[in-house]
Amino acid sequence: MSTPPTQASAADASPFDGGARWPLTLLAGSALVWLVVGSLLALLTGIQLHTPSFLADCSALTHGRAQAWRETAFLYGWAGNAGVGLGLWILGRLGGHPLRALNWAVVGTVFWNLGLLFGLIGIATGSMTGFAGLQLPRAVQPVLVAAFCAMALPGVLAWAGRKREGTYAAQWYAAAALFLLPWFWTATQAVLLWSPLRGVVQTVAASWHAQSVVALWLMPLALAAAYYVIPKQTGKLLPGYDSAPLAFWTLIVVGSWTFGRHLIGGPVPAWIPTMAVVAQCLLLFHFLVIWLNFRGAFAGGSVTLQYMRFGLVAYLLTGLAETITSFRGIAVHTQFTLFGPALEALLLQGALSMFLFGGLVHQLPRVTGRHWALPSFVSGHASLVMLGVVVSVLSLGWAGLAQDALLNHSQTPFAEILVQLKMPLLLHSAGQFALLAGNVLLLVAFLRSALSCCQAEGASVLRPASSAS
Amino acid sequence: MSASQRPDPGPDRSPLSDDALQAGHEQIIGKQPDEKGKYRLLPLNLLFLFSGLIFIGGTYLGRFSGHFHPKVFNEYGQPPKAGAAAAVAVDPLVLGKNVYVQVCAACHQPTGLGLPPAFPPLAGSEWVSGSEERIIRIVLHGLQGPIKVKGVEYVGAMPAAGPGSGYNLSPEKVAAVLTYVRKEWGGIETPVSVAKVAEVRGKEGNRQPWTAAELEKIP
Repeated sequence: MSTPPTQASAADASPFDGGARWPLTLLAGSALVWLVVGSLLALLTGIQLHTPSFLADCSALTHGRAQAWRETAFLYGWAGNAGVGLGLWILGRLGGHPLRALNWAVVGTVFWNLGLLFGLIGIATGSMTGFAGLQLPRAVQPVLVAAFCAMALPGVLAWAGRKREGTYAAQWYAAAALFLLPWFWTATQAVLLWSPLRGVVQTVAASWHAQSVVALWLMPLALAAAYYVIPKQTGKLLPGYDSAPLAFWTLIVVGSWTFGRHLIGGPVPAWIPTMAVVAQCLLLFHFLVIWLNFRGAFAGGSVTLQYMRFGLVAYLLTGLAETITSFRGIAVHTQFTLFGPALEALLLQGALSMFLFGGLVHQLPRVTGRHWALPSFVSGHASLVMLGVVVSVLSLGWAGLAQDALLNHSQTPFAEILVQLKMPLLLHSAGQFALLAGNVLLLVAFLRSALSCCQAEGASVLRPASSAS
Repeated sequence: MSASQRPDPGPDRSPLSDDALQAGHEQIIGKQPDEKGKYRLLPLNLLFLFSGLIFIGGTYLGRFSGHFHPKVFNEYGQPPKAGAAAAVAVDPLVLGKNVYVQVCAACHQPTGLGLPPAFPPLAGSEWVSGSEERIIRIVLHGLQGPIKVKGVEYVGAMPAAGPGSGYNLSPEKVAAVLTYVRKEWGGIETPVSVAKVAEVRGKEGNRQPWTAAELEKIP
């Protein structure tokens, strides 16, 4: 690890990474802290599913609030910070210039995380909004949008001032995500919080926001990471890259229209769920192209590629399953059962998180100019989270199908259903425990790496800035 | 530590530089000609597949969208014809029962037997089967002070329920609930008309609750 870089080794330590080291490490670090907080709450809410009395006397940790905490910490804390960090880094590297306005990104990151902290305190004390995916208290939300704009500024400048005329898929996804979040979040804030729409349109707007957070913001950032990291790791150009632009536009144009599948049977006009079915079918093309592009990830052996492989398989499975369950005849069986949370876990913990893990594990050594300090912890993290995701998704899916079979028979008493679900829900908690343990390992490995980089800062010969010349 | 143990090849290995990554992929999507000066074409099978998905999606949307009408909630439904909604008349007895359960039943009870000593019965009451003019006024403006029903004196206060009051019932709902009450407990089949309620309201406007003595002067 202490060997000085050779001529060949200097090639992947970009001369631009040195200046961005601390802002990007700050983003990755805050992401991992929120990840551990979110995993802890996921374990807690998982336990509450089979043991409802667990911590039920503490009002801040009752199921409704803990669920909102978990969701917010995961989406806006973990995936948001990690995704933006990767997006900025990729846009900077491919833009061909050092990242500019990084002090804006640091200020933005600080305010984003402070805003989330106050938001979570607000949720814990009961001032959350009633919209899934948007539970942060009203007063915090404009601050977060402003903080995000500051965080995104270096990325936007890198995109606008890029050296090459042509662009690469990772840049499209990252830049699109940076532009789309302020657009849809200000729109949904305006129509839900500041001058609320009336009646059923609120549900439509809230579902659209929840879908957009994943389809227009977090998933594009994760896909940007995958598009960048997979060819860098395998050393080969992506197969089937011809169709990548069409796959990109498919996701951006129809990705958020799939929200209507959650409203089947609700008091919304029939065309909204129908539109969701059509959007899901069009997205099949996106998933097919992603498969064609990323299949090279199955060739390599590094842990980074293991994450990417897992994420790819989870992404495709979610896409297929969501398309099938968006049809009304199938939704009769899966809607309002634990099958929905199973698919959500597969998408968020299986696909989104894995792409981001792969990106972070690839990014950190290059940003700090040093190898991971505790490589066995990183490998341990990979094994634990993959095990955790498989166990918790399968057990939730099993619980969902069991619920369907029992709920559709009016003779079965409700208490009987709860007894029958106990086993899969216990398994789900075991899966969440594995995820928590794995994520703690990754946080420890990250802190060790950041610390040793910090100590060696002054004298290190591995500084990319010096090796570039 | 050997390289195979590392989670990532790390910064000292780079199979593909950023420049090679960008240049290679640009060439694939046809922005750059290859060595023979030729541009690549998009793969046709994927384009056909994409067009096929759009075609299927469009057909499905046309079939199950309810013509994008905001009031069609069933994917097999058709938008209502113009004027069709107006033709559907609401049964005053059904509407009246709903209003009774929501507004009146708390005091007069779902059985219509009331709750002495404050809430007089409706069932068999001479006020219910008596003058339409009086009972309309009671519901519109309320009633206070003592009132004798079936030979028993009740003392209570009935709040107004008409338009502009706390319950803010429309003339249609006032007429419907009176029709229901009179049929159910007074045996009177003739419905109370909306026009009659509106007429009484126009005559009296918004006023204080009535007393039994005032009502007895009205025919």
